[in-house]
Amino acid sequence: MGVMTARVFGLLASAVVVVTAIVACRPSGDAGYVEIKTVPLAPLTQTALYLDSTKLAPIKKGDTILRQPVGTLELQGDGFAGTLTQLCKIVVKKDRITTVTVSVLERPPRCQCRFTGADAATAHACVS
Amino acid sequence: MLRSLQVVFARLPFATAALVAAALALSGSFARAQDSSGAASPVDEFSQQLEDFQKSVPDLNKKIQESATTIDATTDVAKARAEIDRLRDEVSTLLGAVADNGPVSQLGVKALDHIHQKLKALSADTRFKPEERQYLIGQWQQLETQTVAADKELDDARAQFVSLLQTLQQNEDFIGELLEIRQAERALEVIRSLTQNIRDASNQLNKLIGGIKPPGA
Repeated sequence: MGVMTARVFGLLASAVVVVTAIVACRPSGDAGYVEIKTVPLAPLTQTALYLDSTKLAPIKKGDTILRQPVGTLELQGDGFAGTLTQLCKIVVKKDRITTVTVSVLERPPRCQCRFTGADAATAHACVS
Repeated sequence: MLRSLQVVFARLPFATAALVAAALALSGSFARAQDSSGAASPVDEFSQQLEDFQKSVPDLNKKIQESATTIDATTDVAKARAEIDRLRDEVSTLLGAVADNGPVSQLGVKALDHIHQKLKALSADTRFKPEERQYLIGQWQQLETQTVAADKELDDARAQFVSLLQTLQQNEDFIGELLEIRQAERALEVIRSLTQNIRDASNQLNKLIGGIKPPGA
């Protein structure tokens, strides 16, 4: 009984692996890059940052470059009472780099776009 | 519990059953791959990916040099812009591999994690004589040094890719603005000066990436 249950769970786990692999192997479509710089510069920035809901790995030497699908992403940070706070919106364009600097000393961290949009829709978003 | 799972399986559509079959087949191959690859596989994998990446760079370098020549020779701004666009696409593709969430960088992280785990495990391992253990630790430490060095060089290459892509996108924007105000001559001047930057960046990239030593190589 125990062995059977273990096998069934093993099977389910394998199915999850396959589904994940299939999803990961789908054509990714157009992509661009988000460059996140953190200040003050530290060997490893431990402040939790999220792109949409994906938590980013600690940033090494104050700089990371991440390939992302084209579109508008939300950079979020830990706010008060354990909630996520939106720091800024980042517009990702095909084969282009959108750069944003995050001041991690503040609570919540503060976003500073290298360039902001010129039109009303992207006036408060970081663009490339 | 088992009964309810059996009921669930009985109701699963054919596609899911096929998926499960694929899972079984794949899990078998994964197990075999793990058996045959040995303990150092994440380091080997990183080393292999790095070598593959290095092999793709001279090709990019050639394309960049060709693009620069085409851009230099043309008086057609639209053609030059199309060439810059194509170049941006090529550089972007390679940057994808070395971006922090790209496959080569991710394997680098995985390789280092593996090395750290091995070093930790070996220091507590009592199966070997002290001199044997010391030898193994020494070898893993050497791999660690090489992997850290390769990671560092990859960081430099990544920065160079980012700089090249940023140069391309900024110049392309300026050229676009110049064309909007019918300054084709000025746009051509910008394009010409851009080609020199592109050539320099390309040579720099070639040197940087060609100089990376994959760990264990």
